[in-house]
Parts: sequence; structure tokens; C-alpha cells
Amino acid sequence: MGLHYCYFHLSGEIKLIIMIEKGKIWKFSGVILIVYVIIAGLLIPLKPGIETVEPSYGNAGETMKIQVTGYNTHFKEAGNSLRAWLKWDNGKAIAASEMVALDERRINLTFSIPGNLPENTEVQAVTLLIDSETDGTSVLPSAIFLTQTETVLSTEEVPWVKPANFSNNGMITFPFRNILGETIRNTYFHVPLWFGMMFLFLFAVIHSIKYLRKGDTESDLKAEAYTQTGIIYGLLGLITGALWAKNTWGAYWSWDIKQNMTVVALLIYAAYFILRASFEDPEKRARVCAAYGIFAFSTLIPLLYVIPRLTDSLHPGSGGNPAFGSQDLDNTMRMVFYPAVIGFTLFGFWLSSLQFRYLRLQKLREDLD
Amino acid sequence: MKDLHFILLLLRKEFLLEFRTRSAISGIFLYVISTLFVVYETFVKIQPNVWNTLFWIILLFVAVNAMVKSFVQEKGNRVLYYYSLLNPSHVLIAKIVYNTLLLLVLSLLIWGLFIFFGDNPVKDTGLFLLILFLGSFGFSVTFTFLASLVAASNQSSTLLAVLSFPLIIPIILMLVKISAHALRLIQDTAVSGDLAILIAIDLLLCGVALLLFPFIWRD
Repeated sequence: MGLHYCYFHLSGEIKLIIMIEKGKIWKFSGVILIVYVIIAGLLIPLKPGIETVEPSYGNAGETMKIQVTGYNTHFKEAGNSLRAWLKWDNGKAIAASEMVALDERRINLTFSIPGNLPENTEVQAVTLLIDSETDGTSVLPSAIFLTQTETVLSTEEVPWVKPANFSNNGMITFPFRNILGETIRNTYFHVPLWFGMMFLFLFAVIHSIKYLRKGDTESDLKAEAYTQTGIIYGLLGLITGALWAKNTWGAYWSWDIKQNMTVVALLIYAAYFILRASFEDPEKRARVCAAYGIFAFSTLIPLLYVIPRLTDSLHPGSGGNPAFGSQDLDNTMRMVFYPAVIGFTLFGFWLSSLQFRYLRLQKLREDLD
Repeated sequence: MKDLHFILLLLRKEFLLEFRTRSAISGIFLYVISTLFVVYETFVKIQPNVWNTLFWIILLFVAVNAMVKSFVQEKGNRVLYYYSLLNPSHVLIAKIVYNTLLLLVLSLLIWGLFIFFGDNPVKDTGLFLLILFLGSFGFSVTFTFLASLVAASNQSSTLLAVLSFPLIIPIILMLVKISAHALRLIQDTAVSGDLAILIAIDLLLCGVALLLFPFIWRD
């Protein structure tokens, strides 16, 4: 035991070797993964996209001049390779008749809207597609709403085209989502912190069970350390979530069911520490707190996973919002997201093991006194 | 069969003790009546959606007050005597059953007094009775188990509220939702699914409490 604490005094290189020898590679993997996530997650640019279209309303049969504002786009640089279409749901599209790039981010497009729109409704939403060699393809669904007074399909010949030969600029990018914008990068911090918190609480509960079965003091201290780190992760998840919510939903706190349930979960674990503080006898404290920890964890499952799915939520995965999956993550994001989950979880385990060693030393001193 | 015998004996003991002193139950009765009186004095007229929330909140506070004393008697020499004599699961089951029945009576009393002072917004009486039972059972499991933890810590009753209120939230959310359906405040198409979730939460907590209680009991 004594030797174990000597590592603090050893020089950096020796410490590094000893830690790897002791099978602590996972700690370094955790740190390396987090560094990778911070660098890749913050530096990889967003894919060029369309931010706004002015005006967004038009009528059938007129010549529409619209101004498009792009994000991360290079309209001037693209030059002749620039192409633009308005596309209906049924695949029919018209090409822009005139394109004037004002600067890299703004472009004027002119479309001759046909007199009879290809669908049978009064108001029709059309998708704007812009393609260039420098930027690849950008899509804005429901960019323009077109109104026609006559809903009879005429036989007038319209020069329909089919958008094809899309270019690929070959750059590694994150997807551009209109409301999310740059905040999409928070996916690598907010979500993995939650995954990490759940793993930490799970390990706390495993150590609580171990304590009740074997009765060794170390398991009790480990459960405490994991719970403490779990609460820190929960608070960080809450803060990153609130900042994200401010930028996308418009307020730090929206009384969203998942936000509320998270606060409740943190209250449950805060109560764990109040319970810990109310015992004199360490053996009794360990036993009762282990029982409470297991009981609390079993209410966490309905709290965090069942109830939020029953009510509307602004979060993905409930209330008609798409669940976490193909819609939210593309392959580039996966390359950062999965390492982030693993990295933050490993880092949490390292924090917990440090905290555990601190608690053990503290207990040792108490016992000596 | 022997298990049932022990549980019934313990249950009989609980009822006898309560019947002899009657201090706890009469205190709770007065608590309920004075709370409702204050509520009606201040609200004057209660809308059904307010009624729904108020009913469950009052029941929650009544439950905390009624159950904080659950393990007060099990202390010192008496606990040693029980410990040598009984299986801890029997003790917990008897306490849970007793507290469920007590809470069921109290919730019926609260409902009755609500009707007496105001009117009865409950449209689906059968469903409401069912969730009164499921609610009483869920409250009883959570509060009884946590009261045993609090009793081990020699702490005041505020600790029970601190520990239990966050834990009771999944149950109370389900109760309020199903009860809103029983009051026809919302048209809940998935009421049987919600009931199933409520029963699942109740049984989950009951199972975990039964598994853990022997460790608390061992003193």
C-alpha cells in the first residue's frame, strides 16, 4: 500500500511507464480520445449550406428573383461550376435561368416559375438545391412556398429537368443543419457526458451490491467516488445542454420533461450525500447508503427512459422528433461521437479512481487518529 | 403457508398497536381535515385540473407524515428480540401491507372530504379507485423502505422527505396522468399502457426493497 502512493513523487517518464505496466493504458486512451474529440470536434468545418432565402413566397407564372445567403459557401470561387434548381416532391425541377454571385456567401438566383405547378394543391413547398465543385451540394427543404390560383393541371409544356451529376468536393465536414448551425458540435460533449454519467452510476451501483455481498470498505468508498463523479458529469451535461438549448430552443430552461427528470435524478443523488452525512458509524453508513444507492438507481430507469418517452419533449427521440440514429449522425460525426463516448467514460473512471484514492487516504488518516 | 402465517401475525400486531394507542391515526385524521379546510378556505372554488394535482399532493404529504413513524418502535432491545425471531422480509411485507391499507383508507377519507366540502369531479370511479390502490401501494413501498433507512440514521423526519420526494416523482407523474383521464380532463388513449407502467414501477420498487431490506435490518 505504501509503495502505491510513492508514484506521486516519481518523475514523469517513470510514472508513465509504471502506469502502463500496471495496466493503466485505459487512462491514457481516455485522455487521448478526449483530446482528439476536442481537436476534431471543434476544427472540422461544417458542410456548406443554405442559411436563408429572400423572399420565400412566390406565385406561379412569374419570374422570381431570390437572394440566397449561404454558410461556409464559396459562390464567387465556384464560378461556372455553380448550378441551382427548385425541386418539387415528385422529382420535377426547374433550373435557375440566371445566377449572379454577389460575394462568397450571397448569390442572386432567377427562376421562371411555370404557370401550372406540378402538384394539385394551392400552396406548394419547393426545395432549393445548389451544387458547385468547390462546395458540393447544399439543400434547403421548403425553401420557397409557391401559390397558384388554378389547381387544374394544364397541358402546357414546361422544361422540367432532373438534377443530376452532383459534385463532391471531397472535404471532411460535419452536416449543416439550419437551426443547429455550429452548435451541432455540442453532440460530442453534451451527449457523451450523459452516457458517461450513466456508466458511472452503473458502476456505483455495482460497487454498492458488492459491498452488501462482501462487506469490504473499499467497495463502499468506490461507490461514493463513482457517485461523486457521476454527479459532476450530470451537472456538466445539464450546463452544456442548457447552453445548447439557449442557442437552438431560445431559452436556457424550457421545462422540457427530460430537463426536469434530469434535475430530479441529480436531486436523488444529492440526497445520497445527505444520507451519508447523517451517520456516525461508518459500517452502518456504508450499509444503509449502499441500499439507498441501489434503490435510487432502480428508480432512475423509469425516470430517465420511460417517462420522457410518454410526454412531448423537445429532445430527439420523443414527441415526434427523430430518435438518435441515422437522421442525427452522419459517418463523419460518428467518427468523433463514438470516441467521445468512450473517451469521456474512461476519463470519468480515472477521475473516480483518483477520488477513491483520496477517500481511502482520508479514511486511513481518520483511522490513525 | 408458514410465511403467510408470520406476515398475518405481524400485520395483526401492527393493527393492534395502532388500535390501542390511536394517537398516530387520529393525528393523521386531524391533519387531513385541517389541510382540506385550509385548502377550501383559500381556494374557494377548485377547478378539476387543480383538484387533480391538489389531491395527490395532499395524499403525498399525508403519506410522509403517516409513514415516518413506521420503524420508530423497532429500536433497541425490541429490534434484537424481533431479529432473533423473525425473517426480515416478513417484517417489511407486513409493514407495506399495513401502510397500504392505512393510506388507502386515508385517501378514501380525503376523497370523501373533498366531495363533502366541494363536489366530485371524478367521472370514472372504477379507474380512480384502482389508481388510489396502486398509488397507495407505490407510496407505501417507497416510504416504508426509506423510513427504515431514516430510522437507522437517528435523523429527523425531514430526511425522509428529502430522500423520498425525488424518488416518488415517477409514481406521482403516472398517477396524475391516469387520474386526469379518470377526471376526463384529457383523453388518454394509452391508459392501459400507463397503468402497466405504473404497476411495473410499483413492483420493481417493491422487489428491490424486499431484496435490500435484510441488509438494513441486520444491525
